[in-house]
Amino acid sequence: MPSPAPVVAGRDDTTQGLYDRVAGLGLSPFSIEQRTRALDRFVSLRSGREKPGRFWRVDFESIAPEAGAIDLSAGNVRVENHDPAVFVCDLATAARESPELFARAFGTTGIAATKFGSLAAAFAQCGVFVHVRADHACDDPVVIRYTAPAGAAIFPWTVVLAERGARVTIVERLEGGAGAFLCGASEVVTEERADVHFAAFQQVDDGARIIWSRAARPGPEARMSWASAELGGELAASELSVSIEAPGAEANLTAIFFPRGSQHVDVVSTVEHRAGDATSETIVKTAARDRGQARFLGNIRIAPHAQGSDARLRDDALLLSPTAHVDSVPALEIGANVVKAYHGATVGAIDAEQIFYMESRGLERAAAERMIALGFFEPAIERFPTAALRDEIRTSLAAKLT
Amino acid sequence: MPDHALRVTDLRCQIAGKEILKGIDLTVDRGKIHALMGPNGSGKSTLAFAITGHPQYEVTGGSVELDGEDMLALPPDKRARAGLFLSFQYPAAIPGVKVANFLHAARQAERPGDLPPAKFRALLVEKMEQLGIDPSFMGRYLNDGFSGGEKKRIEMLQLAVLAPKYAILDETDSGLDIDALKDVGSSIAALRASEEGRNTGFLIITHYPRILSYVVPDVVHVMIDGRIVKTGGHDLAHRIEREGYDKLREESAVVA
Repeated sequence: MPSPAPVVAGRDDTTQGLYDRVAGLGLSPFSIEQRTRALDRFVSLRSGREKPGRFWRVDFESIAPEAGAIDLSAGNVRVENHDPAVFVCDLATAARESPELFARAFGTTGIAATKFGSLAAAFAQCGVFVHVRADHACDDPVVIRYTAPAGAAIFPWTVVLAERGARVTIVERLEGGAGAFLCGASEVVTEERADVHFAAFQQVDDGARIIWSRAARPGPEARMSWASAELGGELAASELSVSIEAPGAEANLTAIFFPRGSQHVDVVSTVEHRAGDATSETIVKTAARDRGQARFLGNIRIAPHAQGSDARLRDDALLLSPTAHVDSVPALEIGANVVKAYHGATVGAIDAEQIFYMESRGLERAAAERMIALGFFEPAIERFPTAALRDEIRTSLAAKLT
Repeated sequence: MPDHALRVTDLRCQIAGKEILKGIDLTVDRGKIHALMGPNGSGKSTLAFAITGHPQYEVTGGSVELDGEDMLALPPDKRARAGLFLSFQYPAAIPGVKVANFLHAARQAERPGDLPPAKFRALLVEKMEQLGIDPSFMGRYLNDGFSGGEKKRIEMLQLAVLAPKYAILDETDSGLDIDALKDVGSSIAALRASEEGRNTGFLIITHYPRILSYVVPDVVHVMIDGRIVKTGGHDLAHRIEREGYDKLREESAVVA
């Protein structure tokens, strides 16, 4: 990660309120000094997101929570875990009772070096630490649910440590009422041959804003799968990243988003191939209707020494209204010469021949369009864990199509 | 008395301002097999799309009636629900939509509530077996990555499951080897042997007479340059096999 830019911004009334809140926070998992430095970074760093212009209305640089809305109560998180062999606790408990284990994962993915990762770090208090011991296979998913009350700002932080040969599925459900602001982070660190499937299902109110950073470091020959469905929020911005630092790892990234009404979604995926002989596959499906806007930036970086890397990136966008807008920006930086790297992208409306084909089988036009649009998402939906979650995603997408 | 026929009268159609159909008269009776033959570019596929309501094909005159009901006033889905089926020459691929789900939706649209899901599945399994289609196709995305032959078989499966009143098969034989042709022939025979498909009227559009060795037509029409120039029995197909279309073209030019 690049070192943070020097702090130049002064403290205006808005940011002073945030500093005042930080000063009154607990010492775990971050110290007040660490929190203050994180807030400094939030104030001074640029987001790297699109600037407002012809299409974009949102100015990420001016986004900040209101100090008075910040809600740090532990009641904002609920966890379902049916496997007694999987250790789940809040962050303060993890830092106090298992400091060595916790430190192996917490804060090691570089999330806190970005603008909004820094904001999440400054107020991190509500959160969950999941630890799966070596060679343990957890069949039931661990479900973590973060809920922001209407008008409240919450800053959840999930940390997952999967030891050698462990296998676990995490489902993170993100909910928030009207006017809520959620700024969170999810970190996953896995050891050799571990297998972590982490799905995020975001369904906050259409009047809420959510910004989430997700980063993972898989171990040698480990498999890391991120799957993210961003379906709610007037503004939803997320980062999905995997840093492959050990050979033989496999990374699967999946994202589904569907802005409608005046929703705005901004997703950045990044796969860093820093070690060779690893594979990554990123699949992104976006639909947009009404005045919905989406931007996807897909980064693939293959370091010069990461020979034998195999990286694939596929993103498809479906425009369901003439006023909807989707920008899809692939960015491949390939430093090694013995690699496979593939990128494919499409943006377009539903094909008239597909509609006629379905109509000729008796389906009404609207039903045909809905079926085609749902089918468009299906290759991504199939990469989500558990049949129940996949069905829930299908139902939510179908509701957005009517 | 109700009219049990697909009746096309003086049908005219244009695409992008160019007239392709120049007054087609054609009647397909329930339970009969009609073959529509003609060289490439004569307007056969245009007729199929004009009858079924493809939005790019502008009908400029004439009428299409199905059992006395005006089809031209209806959108394509209502024409299908009235009992019309088109087997496409180039079926569209619909990624993400599974064959079984699509067929269930189509059957539900055309005959709401007639089969509960379990019975529908049994019907589908039975028809797939009859057509020699591997059961794994149920879970595959519709026509996505299918070979030409696989697409045509899935069209035949849809024909069997939907059992329409009238089926237009647009060059279902094109690109098929002899074995696949036999399968198409036997699927049509199987439909005709079933209770639901006993009275289906067929309009089989083909460029080559060879499919007609497997499906014997009651009536053969020859279309050249947007007009039906000759109508006859099965022997007309044999004549075309021997002589090609040139002689008929010359005769029609003389008549015109």
